[in-house]
Amino acid sequence: MTRTLKRLAHMVFVLWAIASILFLLFRLLPGDPTLAYIDPSFTDDQRQQILRDFGLDKPLGQQYLIYFGNLLHGDLGISFRQRLPVLGLIFTTLPNTLLLTVTALVVAYVFGGLFGAVLAWTRRSRFEAASIPLVLATRAAPDFWVGMVLLAVFAFGFGWFPAGGASSPGATFSSQWARVFSVDFARHLVLPAATLAIYLQGLPVLLMRSNMLEVMNEEFVTMARMKGLPERTVMLRHAARNALLPLVTAFALGFGAAVGGNVVIETVFSWPGLGRMLVDAVQSSDYPLAQGAFLLIAAVLVTMNFVADMLYGLLDPRVAHGRH
Amino acid sequence: MPDMTRAPSGWTPTRRALLGSSALLAAGLAGRPAEAAGTPGDKIRPIVLLSKPQANDPSLFQAAQLAVQQWKKLGLNISIQVVSNAQQNAVVWNERQKWDATTWEMVGRPERSDPDELVFSLFNSALADNGYDFVGYVNPEYDRVAQAQRQELDRAKRQALVKEAQDIIKRDQPYAFLVYPRRSAAFNTAVWDASTVKTEAGIGIRNFWTFTGAVPLTDKKDMVLNCHVEIDYINPVRMDVIGSWVTDLVWDKLTRVGLDGEVVPWAAESFKWTGDTTMEVVVRDGMMFHDNTPVTMGDVLYSFELPTHKDKTPQFFPFVSNIAKVEQTGPRTVLFTLKAPQASFPTTTLSKINLIPKHVWEPLMASMQGKTDMLENFNEVAHIGSGPFKFAHWRPSEEVMLERFAGHWQPPKMERWIMRIVPNQEAVLGMLRTGELNFLALFTGDPRVLAEVPKQVPQITVVTETDMGFQFLAFNNRRAPFDDPAFRRALSTSISRPLLVTAAYNGFAVAAGSCVSTALPFWHAEDSLLSGGDLNAAKKMLEDAGYTLDGGALRYPAGKRETLASN
Repeated sequence: MTRTLKRLAHMVFVLWAIASILFLLFRLLPGDPTLAYIDPSFTDDQRQQILRDFGLDKPLGQQYLIYFGNLLHGDLGISFRQRLPVLGLIFTTLPNTLLLTVTALVVAYVFGGLFGAVLAWTRRSRFEAASIPLVLATRAAPDFWVGMVLLAVFAFGFGWFPAGGASSPGATFSSQWARVFSVDFARHLVLPAATLAIYLQGLPVLLMRSNMLEVMNEEFVTMARMKGLPERTVMLRHAARNALLPLVTAFALGFGAAVGGNVVIETVFSWPGLGRMLVDAVQSSDYPLAQGAFLLIAAVLVTMNFVADMLYGLLDPRVAHGRH
Repeated sequence: MPDMTRAPSGWTPTRRALLGSSALLAAGLAGRPAEAAGTPGDKIRPIVLLSKPQANDPSLFQAAQLAVQQWKKLGLNISIQVVSNAQQNAVVWNERQKWDATTWEMVGRPERSDPDELVFSLFNSALADNGYDFVGYVNPEYDRVAQAQRQELDRAKRQALVKEAQDIIKRDQPYAFLVYPRRSAAFNTAVWDASTVKTEAGIGIRNFWTFTGAVPLTDKKDMVLNCHVEIDYINPVRMDVIGSWVTDLVWDKLTRVGLDGEVVPWAAESFKWTGDTTMEVVVRDGMMFHDNTPVTMGDVLYSFELPTHKDKTPQFFPFVSNIAKVEQTGPRTVLFTLKAPQASFPTTTLSKINLIPKHVWEPLMASMQGKTDMLENFNEVAHIGSGPFKFAHWRPSEEVMLERFAGHWQPPKMERWIMRIVPNQEAVLGMLRTGELNFLALFTGDPRVLAEVPKQVPQITVVTETDMGFQFLAFNNRRAPFDDPAFRRALSTSISRPLLVTAAYNGFAVAAGSCVSTALPFWHAEDSLLSGGDLNAAKKMLEDAGYTLDGGALRYPAGKRETLASN
């Protein structure tokens, strides 16, 4: 319990620090947010008025207090550029990003866990010798390149999947749920999710393989074999299960990182996600939107880190009890 | 976003750049005569040319590099400093004493088919401090001609004045004009009747007349087109580059710019000058808004009254600032009384002001009275207009969809207009080939690649049109040595426009010599082009103006000093 509370306090502290850094970062950057919508016909007075509207004329300390007060009330402010609530804007794209990320991660880690275990089990075989370079190559390949290849083959070549967007042109749905659970959405999801999964699978494959190699030398594996259990059972039930722990951490952290890190894939597939929105916001000095998006990504990352810690404790009681 | 923006100081020049191009206290101090005219002039300081990143516009970047190579051969110590869009806008627009030269572009817009906006505003000394004359060109002779063309209602006489203005600009070279880009768009002839896809002068096939008149050939009656960037606003009292594509279709205007660049009646049955400063407009009867309420004369009057609130609609204010009075003089007749004659009024005002429903906008306006917020920054969600298309939905980062408004007096032939936001230009080409897109509205990739598409997919037709806009290198006329027309002329003469067209634009541009594009042949002065490329002629011009070379470095004319000061 104490450990959980400590971790929670740590999480809150990290989020506060990130929020503070973000606040300062955007205000110290060169560029002016009013550029996004100021016309040449504006006078200096009008520009100053806009700065006043957004509170940018106030001392930095005062801006900081207002910012934190609003944050505590769940108010991320109004987008400088679009004059719409930041939270609302983020929630228009966040579901798309989450679905893309979760799908890709699940595919990558399920595949990675199984394939890594098989590689360890078939160590020094031809299969392993051929597979490792392939895994490394796909991991090292730029995701925009992988994405373009998939587009060229499966969208423009065979025509199996659409090339862009999250739904067909002009498609209408009764609700957001109806949209994300539609076949149309799934068809649009395949190629970007596959690209992200190809990029992500390298880590779980290699991690699982090296964990398995360690675990396979443990006495309980020898014991399982001595009991005469089939190799498949020894591999899956005894070795793989114990080698999974680091993968849990990697999955959680990978989720946090992937939420904000899909800019390239979102651009290649015209996927309406958080990453593209974030880039647009930064380029146009839309402080509130960029801050909000970064903060959300940081919150997801920190939360997933916390979840990973907790899960680790559950899966391996030695961690929770401080015994290593 | 407007093509020209302004911003406060946000630029942090490098120390080298700052030292090299330290600002002069003022233009008057920049080249003051020395005590002894016989003493050699100062060495010209290192000059900095600001440019957006190459990725932003590879052709313009390449053109700037070619120009700089030539200028170095003249003895100028010059370098290109790459800055972000925001930094470039901030410095050029708001720190008008702090830069030497910059790459720049004026984009084409239908209302610019009347040359007034560019001819009057770009070089108007009254707008040098904080308006469109960002280079600080000051010439009373030009001001007089520009003002005269604005007020001249006789078309032939006005044409002569517009050409005279271009002649003055050719002589003084406040900019080094580079090119009028040639933009390509494409459509699928298996989906659209090619004869109904129209080309608008200086704009291309992505225009109002195509969107309302294109006839679908199959059961697929949706036009699926692309744009490459996010839309910020769909607002009838705001100018937004991509948002305007939508507002143009959802809201009607009294006039529209026709395919030949000439203004034609639209929601007005007719318009005519009844005096130098009075125009009578007869409004079309029976028009409806998308919420099934009729378009009343009250709505028409209110549409021109709303933008007069400068604090609420500053972008649209200039379009109505010359209107002294708007009054209803008959059941369907409106009389506009102007403060001063303005020949471009039917184009720059009547074709610009969107007809808005008073019952929607008046309450909005009332709710903003006494507040600092602006109506043009309001993202109203219903989007009620009276145009040929009605708003259906807007999915951020994905698409905007409009539907045919059957209640319009000239409804479109297509059922739906769906604009997909596709940032990946390779994907755009693929989508055009597979039919995911059936109209390519904008292509920011290599135009040569697009030009090859019809060879592989014959049903795709590519249409290339010379743009009404232009790209140029702007000289800061406030700062020496650019305060000297002879110096500017020499620099401009050294640049070979034909070479730029071939090497930097791959043939997709036309050499430019003035702010009036060749896409507007009636107004364009054919002899405005300074073809350039003659380095010896440029050297001779510098020599004649008193500039000398000292160890390969250029010096000011004898006695001219450069007074450096911190900004």
